[in-house]
Amino acid sequence: MNRRRFIAQAGAALTGAAFTPFLPAWPQTPPDVSLEIASLALEIAPRKIVHTVAYNGRVPGPLIRWPEGKPIVIDVLNRTAIPEILHSHGLWIPSEMDGSSEEGTPMIAPGEKFRYSFIPRPAGFRWYHTHISAGHDFKRATYTGEFGCFYIEPKSEPGAYDQEVFLTLHDWNAYTSASGDSSMEASYEYGTIDGRMLGFGDPIRVREGQRVLFRLLNASASLTHWLALAGHEFTVVAMDGNPVPNPRATRAIRLAPAERIDAVVTMNQPGVCILGETREQLRKTGMGILVQDHNQQGKPKWVEPPETIWDYRPFASARPVSREPDEIIPLRFESKFHGQGALDTWTINGKSYPNTDEITLREGRRYRLQFINRSTDDHPLHLHRHTFEVTKVSGTPLSGLNKDVLVVPANETAEVDFTADNPGATLFHCHNQTHMDFGFMMLFRYS
Amino acid sequence: MAPKTLLVELHSNFTVEGSTTTQFEMLPTQHQEHETIELTEGINDWSEIGFYIFTAEKSGNGVQWVGDHIRPRVRIPPRWHWPVGVSLSTEFGYARAAFSNPTWSWQIMPILDQTVGRWYWSVNGTMVWDIHVVPPPADFTPAQKHAYYTFVAPKGVTFGPAATLTYAPSKYFNFGVEYYSYYGQWGNFVPLHYQQQQVFPVVNLFVSPKWEINFGAGWGATAGTDHLIVKCIVGRYFDWSHHRVGSSESTQ
Repeated sequence: MNRRRFIAQAGAALTGAAFTPFLPAWPQTPPDVSLEIASLALEIAPRKIVHTVAYNGRVPGPLIRWPEGKPIVIDVLNRTAIPEILHSHGLWIPSEMDGSSEEGTPMIAPGEKFRYSFIPRPAGFRWYHTHISAGHDFKRATYTGEFGCFYIEPKSEPGAYDQEVFLTLHDWNAYTSASGDSSMEASYEYGTIDGRMLGFGDPIRVREGQRVLFRLLNASASLTHWLALAGHEFTVVAMDGNPVPNPRATRAIRLAPAERIDAVVTMNQPGVCILGETREQLRKTGMGILVQDHNQQGKPKWVEPPETIWDYRPFASARPVSREPDEIIPLRFESKFHGQGALDTWTINGKSYPNTDEITLREGRRYRLQFINRSTDDHPLHLHRHTFEVTKVSGTPLSGLNKDVLVVPANETAEVDFTADNPGATLFHCHNQTHMDFGFMMLFRYS
Repeated sequence: MAPKTLLVELHSNFTVEGSTTTQFEMLPTQHQEHETIELTEGINDWSEIGFYIFTAEKSGNGVQWVGDHIRPRVRIPPRWHWPVGVSLSTEFGYARAAFSNPTWSWQIMPILDQTVGRWYWSVNGTMVWDIHVVPPPADFTPAQKHAYYTFVAPKGVTFGPAATLTYAPSKYFNFGVEYYSYYGQWGNFVPLHYQQQQVFPVVNLFVSPKWEINFGAGWGATAGTDHLIVKCIVGRYFDWSHHRVGSSESTQ
C-alpha cells in the first residue's frame, strides 16, 4: 500500500464510529481562527505569478498568536480538490488534533470543514502547515503556500526588544535536478520571504539603535537556507521556539526546513540593508527582504558575512545530560537508488514507511534516539507532539538545547532524549518533503 | 556542469589495431596513444565552456602536441521542465596535419538526452565543417583528386552521429554502449566501406561526487575505422569557490 492510498483509507476509516469520540461537534460555537484552503495566484514580484494553494488567500497564512494554556478552536475549510490536513508543528497536542493522518487525525475531504480544538502548549514560536504527501507532484503539500506562524505567548515574557518581526522563507516552482551523488533532488525557480521576492515586498521598517526580534521560519519543502543582514549580528535566543542555554551572536544563520530561530538584532548599520540568502545564486532567486531605516533611502546594501559552518553546540550547555535514558533506540537512515532520473526511497532501520517498525513507548519513560545517518544527504529530523533535548552532536555530549527539528549531517550521528509524556500515536520523519514522501517516516505508539 | 565548478578529464585512447601505413601524410594509427586533457567550466545552469588539449604518443615519435579545441555548450535549463534534455554544443579548433585532416574545423552538435529510471540515452548529431583541409598531392589526377575530396577530406559539412545508452544498477556505476560514426559529406555520404562505425561497450564509475571514471573498448565495423581502440577517462571536479561543504557559501 503506498502512502497516498494509506492516507485515503485512513481518512475514510476515521469517519467511522471507532473515532467518533475525537470528532468535535460542528459547528457549535464560532471558532477563534478560521482558515480556508484554496488555490491562489500569488504575485511574488511584478508579473511573476506562482500558482499555488494557500490559507485565506495569502502567503504566509495569518499569524496565530495565542496565550499558552488557553483553549483554541480552529476551523479549516478545504476548498481544494484533494483531501487536506492542518498540522500544528511543535505543539504538545493530542494525535487526533495534531494534523497527521498517520497518527489518526482525520483528513478534510474536498469541500468539507474540520474543527481543530486543543490547548496550545508549550509557549514559543511554532507554526502550522499542510501535512499531505506530494509524491512526484511538486505542486502539492509543503511545496505550496500552505504555512503560517503560530506563536504561543508565554505567561510572562521579558520582551527585551523594541520590535518583533515574523518572517517565513519559502521556495517555489520545484523541479527535479541531479545532485552531486547522482541522486535526484528538488531545485526551485524562485525564493521568497513572506511571499515576495527580494526588492518587491514592503521593507521591514526599523530605527537606528532599535533591538529587533526576528522570528525566522524556513517553510521550504526541502532547501536549507542561510541568512545574513548586511553586517549586523544576530543574537540567537531561541531555536524551534525554545530558549537556548547560551544565546550567542553570529553573522549568518542557518535554517533547515521546518527549523525556527528567534534572533535579536541591534540595528546599527544605517541605510537600506538586505536581509538575504548568503549564497548569491539563491539570493538572486528572490530569497531576501529589505530592512529600511525610517529616515534612510538609497541603494540596498549587502555585506558578505564570513563563511560560517553551523554548529548547534555553542548554543547548548557543554554539560552532558544528568539523567540517563531508560531506553536507547538506534535509528539508521539509508537511501535506495532507483536510477539517475528517479527519486531515491528512504529507509529507517532498513524499512520504508508504511513498512517501518513501530516503536512502543511507555508513558513516563525517558528515551534516547540515536540518529545514524548513513546517507550522503543531511536530514532535518522532526518528532511530532514532543520536544526533544539534543544530547550529542558530532560526538560531543551536550544538554539544554530543546528542539523539535534537528539536522543530522550526511554520514554523521546525533542523539536526542525525550520523555514519553504525551500518549498517542507520534510520527517521526525527515522534514524534507521528498524524503518523507518516499519512505522516511515511522510511528511511535504508546503501550 | 554547476557554476563555479571545473571538471578536469584525462582521456586516454590506445589504438590496438588501426592503420599501419602513412596515408596522405597522416601517421599510422596503430599503437598510437592519445592523451587528451579536457577542461570544462560551468558558467550557469544553462551553459558551460570546454577546452581540449590533444596529444599523441607513439614509439619512436615521442609525445607530440596535436592541437586544441574550444567547446561552448548551451542547454535548456532544467527549470523549463522539458521532458527531454536539449543542448547545443559547438567546437572550434586546430589539429596538426600529421594527425588530423582537416586541420581547422568547426563542429556543431545538437544533443538530445533523457533519463528514464535507471536508463539513460543520448543522441548527438555531430556536423563538422572542414575549414581547412590538407590539399592532395600535386601529382594527383583529377579522378584521384575527386576521390580524395570525397572519401578523405570533404570540403563541405560532414555528418557523424553518436549515441549512448546506459543502465545504472546503482548510483555508483552504470554500463552500456557508446556509438561513434562518420558518414561523410552531407548529401553525399561515402559508401559504408569507407564510413567509420564504432561501438564501445563502456562502464562508468562514480566513486565519489568529485570523481568519475569511464572505461571502454571500441570495435570498428568497417574498413575505414580503426578496428580496436581501448579508452579510459578519469575526471575530477574542482569547486572554484573553495567553500566548505555545508557552509554559508556552499551549495553542496
